[in-house]
Amino acid sequence: MNYEFDWSSIPGSLPFLWEGMKISLEITAIAVVVGIVWGTLLAMMRLSPVKPLSWFAAGYVNLFRAIPLVMVLLWFFLIVPQVLRGAFNLDPNTDVRLTSAMIGFALFESAYYSEIIRAGIQSVPKGQVAAASALGMSYAQAMRLVVLPQAFRNMVPLLLTQAIVLFQDTSLVYVSALADFFGAAYKVGDRDGRLVELLLFAGAVYFVLCFSLSQVVRRLQKRMATV
Amino acid sequence: MSYNWNWGIFGSPVPTGDTTYLGWMLSGLQTTILLSLSAWVIALALGSLMGVLRTVPHKGLSGIAAAYVEVFRNIPLLVQLFIWYFVLPEVLPFGLGERFKQDLSPLAQQFLSAMVCLGFFTSARVCEQVRSGINSLPRGQKNAGLALGFTLPQTYRHVLLPMAFRLVIPPLTSEFLNIFKNSAVCSTIGLLELAAQGRQLVDYTAQPYESFIAVTLLYLLINVVVMLLMRVIENRSRVPGYIGGK
Amino acid sequence: MITIDKVSKHYGSFQVLTDCTTQVKKGEVVVVCGPSGSGKSTLIKCVNGLEPFQAGAITVDGISVGDPKTNLSKLRSRVGMVFQHFELFPHMSITDNLSIAQVKVLGRSKDEARDKGLKLLDRVGLKAHADKFPGQLSGGQQQRVAIARALAMDPICMLFDEPTSALDPEMINEVLDVMVELAQEGMTMMCVTHEMGFARKVANRVIFMDQGRIVEDDAKDAFFGAPRSERARQFLAKILQH
Ligand SMILES: Nc1ncnc2c1ncn2[C@@H]1O[C@H](COP(=O)(O)OP(=O)(O)OP(=O)(O)O)[C@@H](O)[C@H]1O
Ligand SMILES: [Mg+2]
Repeated sequence: MNYEFDWSSIPGSLPFLWEGMKISLEITAIAVVVGIVWGTLLAMMRLSPVKPLSWFAAGYVNLFRAIPLVMVLLWFFLIVPQVLRGAFNLDPNTDVRLTSAMIGFALFESAYYSEIIRAGIQSVPKGQVAAASALGMSYAQAMRLVVLPQAFRNMVPLLLTQAIVLFQDTSLVYVSALADFFGAAYKVGDRDGRLVELLLFAGAVYFVLCFSLSQVVRRLQKRMATV
Repeated sequence: MSYNWNWGIFGSPVPTGDTTYLGWMLSGLQTTILLSLSAWVIALALGSLMGVLRTVPHKGLSGIAAAYVEVFRNIPLLVQLFIWYFVLPEVLPFGLGERFKQDLSPLAQQFLSAMVCLGFFTSARVCEQVRSGINSLPRGQKNAGLALGFTLPQTYRHVLLPMAFRLVIPPLTSEFLNIFKNSAVCSTIGLLELAAQGRQLVDYTAQPYESFIAVTLLYLLINVVVMLLMRVIENRSRVPGYIGGK
Repeated sequence: MITIDKVSKHYGSFQVLTDCTTQVKKGEVVVVCGPSGSGKSTLIKCVNGLEPFQAGAITVDGISVGDPKTNLSKLRSRVGMVFQHFELFPHMSITDNLSIAQVKVLGRSKDEARDKGLKLLDRVGLKAHADKFPGQLSGGQQQRVAIARALAMDPICMLFDEPTSALDPEMINEVLDVMVELAQEGMTMMCVTHEMGFARKVANRVIFMDQGRIVEDDAKDAFFGAPRSERARQFLAKILQH
């Protein structure tokens, strides 16, 4: 091995990298919230007796799960902004590309959340809905008051695990030129000719964060199993 | 909207003139398929080996396999890819990195890095599936194999793995699908696979919609084909009389 | 044939076996009984080395099981074992279940193994099912196949771990009949079972275990006539109620 490592460009760029990390975390937070809310709605549509709703949800979920995230991001980065501009006569100076990529990311992750939540809802025994109806609750009430609370309790570890996956996925916004943590690390490495060190540093940061969180999830799972 | 749809674009020649845009698209598809299949071979082989190691009664071996899984699961695919492509050739010992950079064409460098990266990344997931397949078998099966005089490797080979693999065909199917989807990430190191060709078409023609729709449809097609293929495998490997069998 | 000498075993701080000593002579049939969790399965699994033990010694046909130099696979191939849950290999036909170990372990030819398997299948009355898969047979049939599978290896002795306790009552006898026949032919057998009818019919000795200890080790008549320990008496009374 004759490569001479030189880590000196990292300390000075930490503030810049931290800005990137904030963007990564922000995207993650938004996508998790949108993903859970929209994913829950999708899951309920999918399970609802109203056929068109359930078809729509099934189509949405299967479509997004069949396409690579990179493709979705490119769609929302390159194509959708043009459509929006055409449709709403937007001022050509407003750059909606980043917002659009962000939305695309959230819509994509919702499809995955929806599948987790659907499985969670289905794991609640059917008798629970029957019991709620017997008490005079409407379908929506039964869902909101009886089924979803139980479903979410069981799903917490899976939802968190998906959040870890999602956090890793945010690095792909690189293709839409959003300056997330990975984008920032790459930029610094490229600028200083220290790509090797910066890439290794980025990998280590992701590993420490994701591994720690996954250990937390594991502990949570164990605790829930014993309750 | 004043967009001019022109599906005929795929028939027109590319600037260099040696093929059509359709030709570009198909060569992208070919790269995607070739890349995914070769990475899948690595993933299956390595993942099965690691999955077996995770279940053997040996603390050291199962610990190594567990660490392996954690490393490949907790670093984003894109970062792993960049490390394989940009970092590894720099730090490989014995001049291997130099030979990689000098003796191989850029395309070969991209393809090899992408293949190894996808293979290792997916192998960690395959490992977890194989492990859970083995662990979900009744504990007595291993004892039954050993009691007949099989060695531990023979017990895995003839008793545990054949059933474990059958049990995990559905989750392996979704990993197989993932490898095709994940291969799109490799466009970031310049590998001209399907997604990259789609993007290239957007740059070269004024027909972004046609290009993206075509690429998206091709990914959907890959999905359908893989699912059908795996269903055939699942049906053929079905065990008569076993739960879910018949 | 089998000697068990002061064997002790623990999982962490939990003592599963304490100072177990007994032996099974050639041609003898020994029944092991005792309450759930008393260590019967563990003891019988120690005999062919499926469970390691920390103290004491076990020999089978003069070969020490605990000795790290012993080729355990080879030893196990000479000791037949039948499990509570049959443990046939679900992905293989009955014929393959019977022949795989003969071929892979004993190195017999496929044809030879197949013929031997079919002969034994006939003996347990299941020749017509040779090409089926385990999942297509009833529990009693599966257990008879499992016995045939063990016999196909020409074992010098047989270990049974509650071979009938996972079976519906109407299937128990078809399995016991095979075992009785085997005993009467002079096979050396160590059987964990609560089938006292079987014990009365063919056992030479009965071992009673409680909390990891061998509490009684008596000739059959002595055991059934007047068990020495209170625990064994209670146990017998409980079993006979059913
Ligand atoms: N892997 C293990 N780790 C810890 N304890 C164990 C393990 N296997 C068995 N034990 C314990 O050892 C004791 C003896 O188990 P064993 O299976 O030998 O009992 P048994 O007499 O066969 O009971 P049963 O009639 O229920 O089959 C039990 O208390 C059991 O909980
Ligand atoms: Mg037992």
